[in-house]
Amino acid sequence: MSVHVAGRSLDPSPRAVLRALGAEVAATPRALKLWLGLLLVMCGIGAGGAVLSLPPGWEVLGTSPSFEWGILITAYVFFAITTSGLCLASSLGTVFGVEMFLPLEKRHAILALLSLVTAFGIIALDLHYPVRMVFGAVLSPSPLSPMWWMGVFYGIYLVFLVTEVWSMFTGRWGIHRIACILSSITAVLAPTTLGAVFGILAARSFWHGAFTPPAMVATALLSGVALLGIVFALVHHYRLTGHERAGTLAIPAIRLLLAIMLPVTVLVVAWQMMFGLYGAVPGLADATAAILVGPLAPLFWIGRVVIGLALPIGLLLWPRTRTTPGLFAASCLTFVGIAVDRTVFVAAGQVVPNSAVAGTVSTPFAEYVPSLVEIAVVVGAFGFFGLVYTLAERYLPMDEHRGHLAGAFLGTSAPVLAPEPVLAPEPVLIAAATGPDGPAPEPPDPDADAALAASAAGWPGGAT
Amino acid sequence: MSDRDMMPGDGRPRGGAGLSRRRVLQGGLAALPALLGARILAGEGPAGAGTTARAAEPPTPPAHDPTAHDWAFVMDTTTCIGCGRCVEACKLENDVPAEPETNRTWVELHVLGRDGSVAVTSPDGGIGSFPAGEAAIPAEAVANAYFVPRTCMQCENPPCTWVCPVSATYVTPDGVVLVDEGRCIGCGYCLEACPYGARYMVPAGEQTPKGTAGVVDKCTFCYHRISRGKLPACAEVCPVNARIFGDRNDPASAVSVALTERRVRAMKPSLGTRPRVFYTGLEGEVE
Repeated sequence: MSVHVAGRSLDPSPRAVLRALGAEVAATPRALKLWLGLLLVMCGIGAGGAVLSLPPGWEVLGTSPSFEWGILITAYVFFAITTSGLCLASSLGTVFGVEMFLPLEKRHAILALLSLVTAFGIIALDLHYPVRMVFGAVLSPSPLSPMWWMGVFYGIYLVFLVTEVWSMFTGRWGIHRIACILSSITAVLAPTTLGAVFGILAARSFWHGAFTPPAMVATALLSGVALLGIVFALVHHYRLTGHERAGTLAIPAIRLLLAIMLPVTVLVVAWQMMFGLYGAVPGLADATAAILVGPLAPLFWIGRVVIGLALPIGLLLWPRTRTTPGLFAASCLTFVGIAVDRTVFVAAGQVVPNSAVAGTVSTPFAEYVPSLVEIAVVVGAFGFFGLVYTLAERYLPMDEHRGHLAGAFLGTSAPVLAPEPVLAPEPVLIAAATGPDGPAPEPPDPDADAALAASAAGWPGGAT
Repeated sequence: MSDRDMMPGDGRPRGGAGLSRRRVLQGGLAALPALLGARILAGEGPAGAGTTARAAEPPTPPAHDPTAHDWAFVMDTTTCIGCGRCVEACKLENDVPAEPETNRTWVELHVLGRDGSVAVTSPDGGIGSFPAGEAAIPAEAVANAYFVPRTCMQCENPPCTWVCPVSATYVTPDGVVLVDEGRCIGCGYCLEACPYGARYMVPAGEQTPKGTAGVVDKCTFCYHRISRGKLPACAEVCPVNARIFGDRNDPASAVSVALTERRVRAMKPSLGTRPRVFYTGLEGEVE
């Protein structure tokens, strides 16, 4: 008996599968083997943590009645928001037809799907009765609850994302285009409902307010772009599939978005702190004090401000680091900063106790130390995410699909396969930033130069 | 065991096999398969498979008409002596786990300094009274001090019920907020939404209020008792009558008289939760 896959006849017997697997492992480069091995170990750690966190009521988490949401919620928020950011960044190409964002699409879709699945996995481990949630959300819906809406929108988003990925790999462009538009719309709605889960709580002054949902969307974009920056810098470095257009289009596009979103996030964080300090609002002022000078201060100043904002902005500002490795470093730092930001955000809402319940609440701030089980689950989540994406990068066709090259997303009615010159966006943006009477634009960085040259020469499939 | 199943005065420890954190970790992996299997069998069916008769109308004895009552508490901080008997009675009555951080009711000591500072303590929830210790505020700087019995406020506008994604927590017609343990998913959202810190997640152990670990639990005003014409356990054992419970629909009830004749206030009124628990002698900033 044999199985036919992709035109090849395969023997499905265990011995043949093992032999093929062994041959594949032997053919894998040593560095990749080490990387995969590390990710497998992380997955193993995560699996151990997951098993221990499954039985309801087992006190294996570091949470308490006054600090019920720990790093599992933080990790859930991190991945759930990142998936939206990935989709938002990519939608600039797939929905709005900006060519420089088109190369992001295939990788973004896989990353977004993986990120969402990882988020769902983490929240399932945090809930004591996850299966009840699925049935309960359907059989006894609660439209007054932002958490219910969050489930609805992330559920719909999952369906659209799966459709997007499926149609992308099967070449169903009509369905694909609609799926891209719908997933981009839900990618905005979903993080706002997640923000509302926190923002609606009047009992938690730091989270409470209409500011929280839009802040989630803003930081979602930063988070997604940072992840794309890491991936595309590696694609460019290791000359993986599509690295040419990654270098000329995707990396400048990611740099552009990072350069916009990092200062925006600085403003978001700065105003959040200013509002917290103003007027000594009960709960809010104390939470802000915890962030600025209290137990969360090291995380905030080192992780959020220096690592997550100042250093990446510096790397993007300094002409000598306006390179692909510079972008890689900036993206990594931003990604770490976002993770720290989620930790600080989730903790700050709970750090001011609502009561001195049972005398177990330390004063003036509630304490929470994640348990080994929680840490293991988070390590496993990152391991799973990295492992599956690495395998996808290695074994899935990551070349841009014909929908892009045919100009389907650029609004042309007929395929445009003949090379045509395209305008590089960088000079246009610089002109817009400086204004007609502004100073002469600085010379663009080497990558932008390359983009201009490539565009002038006319990339295969480029469209006006 | 649900609220509806509890028998008055039956305070015997019930529940499954005891599994504290230490025992879990010491027990190793040997017990895992059995426990995981038990979880799947016991807890992972369709939501409320055993509770399809949704408790919007709480199951009560035929004599009890939930629409005829409007329950309320007045906590008298001027008489509470912080003995902690109410906490102990509640734990026994409702099988509340012995852990100090899990309580349906607790007592706090509020000490107000002359400079406006406030120190709130509640060692073990006040179950063993308040042993003399190092004072957070020196005696000469103390402006006032009193004990504050705490419990769920049974809000008329309860934020905890709005946020529940599966409608597992609800308000009875007579104004008591309950949790359907067969429906609760253990997400903890209601814990975060409660401005009074009145809810907790039930740990696995020898005592579980409803026989189910991993769900949220809270004060029920001893619904199984009040629906049979009895007082909540905490009010019944209070030696100084600092917990005044009754029906606001009855103008002659102790609580109606207290609400009429005493100057009372609710906690955190600015949040618009409209608590059914009122306090006498509470000073402004201490909440």
